[in-house]
Amino acid sequence: MNSETCLSCEGIERYLGEEEERVHALRGVSLKIEPGSIHAVVGPSGCGKSSLLYILGLLDLPDAGRVSIESEPVSQLSDDELAHKRNKFIGFIFQFHFLMEDFTALENVMIPMRKLGKLLDNEMRERAADLLDGVGLGDKLRRLSRHLSGGEQQRVAIARALANDPKVILADEPTGNLDTANSERAFELLRNLVHERGKALLLATHNPAIADACDWIHEMKDGRIITSQPLRTQSSVF
Amino acid sequence: MTPPLYIALRFLTHRKRPLLLSLSGVVFGVAIFICTQAQTQGFARYFIDSTIGSNGALVIKSRFRPRYEPLMVPAKVSQGSVGRRLYFEGITNPNEIMRVSRQFPNVVSCSPVLRGTLSARAGFENATVDLYGIDPALHARTTDILHQLIDGNFDDFRNNTSSIIIGSRLAELLQAGVGDTVQLLAPNGEYWRFTVAAIARAGIGSIDSTRVYSHARVAQALLQQPSGATMIIYKLRDPNRAPALASRFESLFQHNASSWQEREESTLQLFLTLRMSVAITVSLIILLAGFGIFNVLTMSVLAKIKEIAILRSMGYRRIDIASIFLWQGALIAVAGSLLGCLLGALMTWGVSHIPIRLRGLLYTNYFLVTWDWRHYAFATLLAGLAVFIASYVPARRAAELPPVVTIRGSR
Repeated sequence: MNSETCLSCEGIERYLGEEEERVHALRGVSLKIEPGSIHAVVGPSGCGKSSLLYILGLLDLPDAGRVSIESEPVSQLSDDELAHKRNKFIGFIFQFHFLMEDFTALENVMIPMRKLGKLLDNEMRERAADLLDGVGLGDKLRRLSRHLSGGEQQRVAIARALANDPKVILADEPTGNLDTANSERAFELLRNLVHERGKALLLATHNPAIADACDWIHEMKDGRIITSQPLRTQSSVF
Repeated sequence: MTPPLYIALRFLTHRKRPLLLSLSGVVFGVAIFICTQAQTQGFARYFIDSTIGSNGALVIKSRFRPRYEPLMVPAKVSQGSVGRRLYFEGITNPNEIMRVSRQFPNVVSCSPVLRGTLSARAGFENATVDLYGIDPALHARTTDILHQLIDGNFDDFRNNTSSIIIGSRLAELLQAGVGDTVQLLAPNGEYWRFTVAAIARAGIGSIDSTRVYSHARVAQALLQQPSGATMIIYKLRDPNRAPALASRFESLFQHNASSWQEREESTLQLFLTLRMSVAITVSLIILLAGFGIFNVLTMSVLAKIKEIAILRSMGYRRIDIASIFLWQGALIAVAGSLLGCLLGALMTWGVSHIPIRLRGLLYTNYFLVTWDWRHYAFATLLAGLAVFIASYVPARRAAELPPVVTIRGSR
């Protein structure tokens, strides 16, 4: 296994639902992601893109197969240890932003930092302000998240995903709820962050323009990765 | 501040209506608990203070002699304890008993009393009275008689052996005031004349309507009693330990000794039953408040299901999520208890100023209340327990929510 691999999975199987509604959502999916690369997972709705992201993000457990972070398998970790890994190594961006409504933009970005507990309050505040400034929201730090527009909320979500300086960012259709201008802006932001800070980005998207702008594109169908092709440099698949 | 506490504070303060609903339940539950306990215990405490203040915390009465059983007894009577003692009226050698009993650290002072029942007459009014022949100095040290005087002067009584102190309701009954003459009927049919030196109010109807104090020597002559004392009453440092001391005195002096708890058992049970009844009612109010909090927090879990999933995705553990909801309960309990204690104190103060004219078992013109920190502590404890139980189930439920299900469901 490549020593530079920051997140990988091998032979992932996942079933969803019960009895007659049981669906084989992922069928032997394997993937490797390296720092500084952007991977797009594309495919029709229900092909297993989100399921793969949740398993890679340690939010869900596979029925079979193995997920590794920095070459260390995580299948034996307890729920609390998985939570710690999520907090430290992974940043999530969801289609519907998923911000905490009762908190300001600044406080939303500080929430993962509070959990990690490595910075003092003023340091967290400073870092969160820098991150929000980086996504163009330096003037809306103290605005409640529910009072921000959809594009602004997604930018707060991006800043929040970077709060603990994670090695991997997982984005589930991050531009799916944005207009074209905001989509381009959000993706541009993510791409710059990945390349400038050496992060790895795996995003599930329906947007062909965004997929084409990634380093790797993985096409999924019926729970399998049917094709994986590098569009630029780096990365590999099994 | 821990992240769960920080988030709990924000969740609470951003949902003002549910917060007020939960808080008001705890505040009123705690306040009503405190106020009702203060009232019921107020009457009980007044009764206890009055009865100890008038009749002492411990009383030694008749001498007894144990009946010794033969070594061999029939099986069917061997377990019976009825009639084991022979009682003799009066105290044998009261001065020696008092001298010895003063050595006990719990004894503050003691006073010998020669007690008898007589008829009293003043003008055209007659009454049966309970005569207490006392040593004025000793009795003043042992009881609250000095504080009970509502008219007249104790020194006038002390300095005049043909004077008496009478109970306030007896004075009303005989229509006698300070300086008036009251006649007491001796067993030989002769009326003895006394001047009323003072009028005392113990606050207990049965005492105030019958009690007459005279000098011990005069009472002895009047009652034609050979014994100098029919009982000794004691003032104790810790009246709660009276039963143990009574038991000790019985075995030591071979005289019947009874504590105030034993003496007033039936009345104390009445007060206790009343307190228990009120406490149960008010505890139900607090439990109802807890149920309200349970509903509010359960609704909160449902309303915050998305936030819970977000927090889990950001690395918050199950215990962190549970803590957020437990903290919400704890914050409600702390704020509610503090405000409830404050409101309870205000209500208690207000109730103590409500005029009420009681002239039966107790004498009072206002509601009687007691200020006891234990009421506040117990109400707070009860509220804390109710809120903890009420918040535990929603907290656990929140912690068990699988985040991925919520995130999938939000798509």
